[in-house]
Amino acid sequence: MTAQTSVDFRVSDGLRSDLGRWRTRALIVGVIGMLAMAAGLLVFHQPFQFYQSYLWAFLFVLGLAVGPLAWLMLQYLTGGAWGVVIRRPAEAAARTLPLVLVLFLPIIIGIPNLYPWAHPAVVAADRVLTHQAPYLNYRFFLLRALVYFFGWMFLSYYFNRWSLVEDRDGPAKAHGKMSFLAGPGVIFWSLSVTFMSIDWVLSLHSQWFSTMFGLLFMVGQGLTSMAFLIALLVALQARAPMSQVLTKRHFHDLGKLMFALTMVWAYFSYSQFLIIWTGNLPEEIPWYLSRTNGGWGYIAMGLVLFHFALPFSLLLSRDLKRNAKLLRNVAIFVLFMRMVDLFWQVTPYFYGSAFHLSWMDIAAPAGLIGIWLAYFFIQLEKRPLMPLHEPNLEEALNHGRE
Amino acid sequence: MSEPSASGHATAESAPAYGLIAEFQTPNALVKAARAAREKGYRKLDAYTPFPIEELTDALHLHHNRLPLLVLLGGLTGGALGYLLQYFVTVIYYPINVGGRPLHSWPEYFVITFECTILFAGLTTVLGLLGLCGLPMPYHPVFNAKRFALASRDRFFLCIESEDPLFERQKTAQFLESLDAKEVSEVAH
Amino acid sequence: MAEEQNVVMERPEPHEIIAPGYTFSSITDQIASVVQTKRTPPFWFLGFGLGLALLGVFAISTTLLFILGPGIWGLRTPVMWGFAITNFVWWIGIGHAGTLISAILLLLNQKWRNSINRFAEAMTLFAVACAGMFPILHLGRPWLAFWLFPYPDTMGIEPNFRSPLVWDVFAVSTYATISAVFWFVGLIPDLATLRDRAGNKIARVIYGLLAMGWRGSAKHWSVYETASLLLAGLATPLVLSVHTVVSFDFTVAIVPGWHSTFFPPYFVAGAIYSGFAMVLVLAIPLRSVYGLEGLITDKHLDNCGKVMLATGLIVAYAYILEAFTGWYSGNIFEAAAIHHRMTGPYMSSYWSLVACNIIAPQLLWFKRIRNTPALLFLSSMVVLCGMWLERFVIIVSSLAQDFVTSSWGIFHATRWDWGVFLGTIGLFLTLFFLFIRGLPMISIFEVRTLLPHAKVDKEVAE
Repeated sequence: MTAQTSVDFRVSDGLRSDLGRWRTRALIVGVIGMLAMAAGLLVFHQPFQFYQSYLWAFLFVLGLAVGPLAWLMLQYLTGGAWGVVIRRPAEAAARTLPLVLVLFLPIIIGIPNLYPWAHPAVVAADRVLTHQAPYLNYRFFLLRALVYFFGWMFLSYYFNRWSLVEDRDGPAKAHGKMSFLAGPGVIFWSLSVTFMSIDWVLSLHSQWFSTMFGLLFMVGQGLTSMAFLIALLVALQARAPMSQVLTKRHFHDLGKLMFALTMVWAYFSYSQFLIIWTGNLPEEIPWYLSRTNGGWGYIAMGLVLFHFALPFSLLLSRDLKRNAKLLRNVAIFVLFMRMVDLFWQVTPYFYGSAFHLSWMDIAAPAGLIGIWLAYFFIQLEKRPLMPLHEPNLEEALNHGRE
Repeated sequence: MSEPSASGHATAESAPAYGLIAEFQTPNALVKAARAAREKGYRKLDAYTPFPIEELTDALHLHHNRLPLLVLLGGLTGGALGYLLQYFVTVIYYPINVGGRPLHSWPEYFVITFECTILFAGLTTVLGLLGLCGLPMPYHPVFNAKRFALASRDRFFLCIESEDPLFERQKTAQFLESLDAKEVSEVAH
Repeated sequence: MAEEQNVVMERPEPHEIIAPGYTFSSITDQIASVVQTKRTPPFWFLGFGLGLALLGVFAISTTLLFILGPGIWGLRTPVMWGFAITNFVWWIGIGHAGTLISAILLLLNQKWRNSINRFAEAMTLFAVACAGMFPILHLGRPWLAFWLFPYPDTMGIEPNFRSPLVWDVFAVSTYATISAVFWFVGLIPDLATLRDRAGNKIARVIYGLLAMGWRGSAKHWSVYETASLLLAGLATPLVLSVHTVVSFDFTVAIVPGWHSTFFPPYFVAGAIYSGFAMVLVLAIPLRSVYGLEGLITDKHLDNCGKVMLATGLIVAYAYILEAFTGWYSGNIFEAAAIHHRMTGPYMSSYWSLVACNIIAPQLLWFKRIRNTPALLFLSSMVVLCGMWLERFVIIVSSLAQDFVTSSWGIFHATRWDWGVFLGTIGLFLTLFFLFIRGLPMISIFEVRTLLPHAKVDKEVAE
């Protein structure tokens, strides 16, 4: 079979109505979640709980929007067929960054409710916080957040713009432009995600630090976005044009990436745990003590079993990776475990080892993910679902049909 | 293989032959021939090539082998032994307090458990490979075939063994010759 | 024996990983004739001679070491891990690139690996052999090295399984074993080729015994391909685990400058970095001496350069984060350790390693540099020096200045430190030159699969 360059890659009418339906549903869930959150803040007056739940749910959504940037840039760096089918969904996810910036505003408002360094009295009484003050203060914190968002949005703008030019004028100039920025872009991405994780998560507590932290967030974002893209592709596969594009081989490749990241996540997590556990230093071990005792201990065990062991054993199977429906189920499960992981990372900062789950920990992700998804679907249908003049397009279309 | 093979059909009439072998110049011709032989009903046949040809596994129906299962079992055995060794030594046989850590310091036992898993699985792979292929095998009749030294160089061979129920010297030879073979010859035992 | 084979190149390879015009038999002849020839190039005698000379230095240094003990090295309290452990970490890191090329790139279906995996794997084996020397030489009583293994003994003691040094024993011996069998399994079909090509009887018997009767049966190839993938799947996490365990030697201790949670991936990245540098240092002269530019093409060098750049950037990330968390943590010991590294007695080593590992390799961004073998060779040498310095600075500077100022001290390397280090380079060179003389340094059967006419047409396959 030869390349089907005659396929019309624009969103088909059938798919358009599907997307519209999904968008409405996501919007309903999102609005209900947001209303519930607003009620929590304004009616029930639980600002602390509001910001805590909001923070981890926001970090999850951030992974959905910023993670795909990394996949886009890696695709331009390595070339090959694997990344062509996720290019358009990844570009659409990156185009949601303005919305993510708006969703970030509540965290800025909530700084005093979240971060100890925002209180001069606390800072003055704490040697380490005083030491960190040049880095952890309102002005510099906001400046850095601006830099991260500016950088991410610039990358999103740049890759979307040249991708559009490529569709219109062919790859001669545009592909070179995109490959050119991919290398520096990945560097910016890794540094920004690292320092983002330090700013927004690590600084919730003054004493603890770990050099692995940024890497764990990078892997987390990569895994979140890959699982999301797989689940999305399976949903898109039901209708034209993607029904004529996707083969088992594509899912096999993407499944392998999800498998690899599951292992890397376990590798990073275990290394960090082992080093801190054996070191047993007073400034380090409390982080794990509060997360492995009490109710959190069960969550920690759950992460080992269901964030690593179960997906790992399932994804070992070649047949499963080639079965779109099963792979989607695993991907959705991985997305759920990503949320559990973020919840487990963030919440004990506020409650120590006492397990704490509020109804807002359900409302916040529902609201944020719902709104984000609705906006994502709007972005997704704007452009053809495959890049029209991608140099690897033919290879990607023939992938698995050889 | 330095021995020249039984030349032609004349001498072979008397001695029982191992089979008939056809030589091809390209992987394409070989895969086509293997497929045709399968379709014709031949089952005892094998191809000999200088590099792995993925399509042959399909053409000759060689799909599943038991190696992954053996390796899984080997790995699990190794991992279990590795963990039990550490547990036995540190908890039962030689319990000693090291740096105030518990006798059963499970977070630290994963490393050796992992290494033992890989070691056993890896050795199982190699032994399993040799076992499933029946190697080492210093003598094999197919080495008697004329020009078989080229099977490790640039030629592609298809051998139909005489044990095959459909094997008939004349007909099989004719069949092989009809397949675009460069040369068909008999393989002595 | 070979008849002319006129196969037209209808489908040229898009990525130039093999020069046009090759046939199955010309590949076979070109690679095998390096081994099966009466003429040995002067380059070989030069390299082998240098290796032997340095091996002599190794023999003298270790003999003296066995007689007099590790006191002949510069090891004095508080620095009891000097060159020996630096060299161990450096050598074993170099080995990692071979496994990465043969295993990870196989899993990723990167065809360009096919022409460099063989000698890279050999490099791994010999590097691990060199690395394995050091912990044993460092024991003080190296003849009791078997005490490292758990066995039922009359002393009534057992290894401490909570110590990363014992994990090292398991990790490194597993790594050596699996690398060796992976390498040997990969050699079997080529040994059969050498057997069938050999003109002289002794060579035929030796290669024949080693090939174990390999006859290229399709049934065997099918199992063989499964076995290769399985070994690659096992070797991939193994290679990560080895340098991870090496990094645990440091991180599990609470010495400032060592106890850092991202050491495992950072050490692995550094290992691959130095390993690819070594691959280039070996490949660039080899291909020009033996005229293998058609098989190890500029594209291969370019790709290796890119991998070096990527891993080098990961290493740079680690330096940045190390400095930042040293300050951010507010931990005075961590901050002091970083401060000492940058401004203390080891500052010259520290800043040289920054120059070698971070600043110089930025030149690899430029395609022109990656495509000039001489410059690539040079930058690989710079990276090898930089990575050695990095291991040295991490190990020695942290030990020299730890918690108690009264016990600070400086490490001075003696001539015997250098003797053993250069000696292992001799061991490496000797083994490597023996390898290229006796075995095919490029995988013949895997390179055959790169040819356009090795592919079966789609119509035939269906």
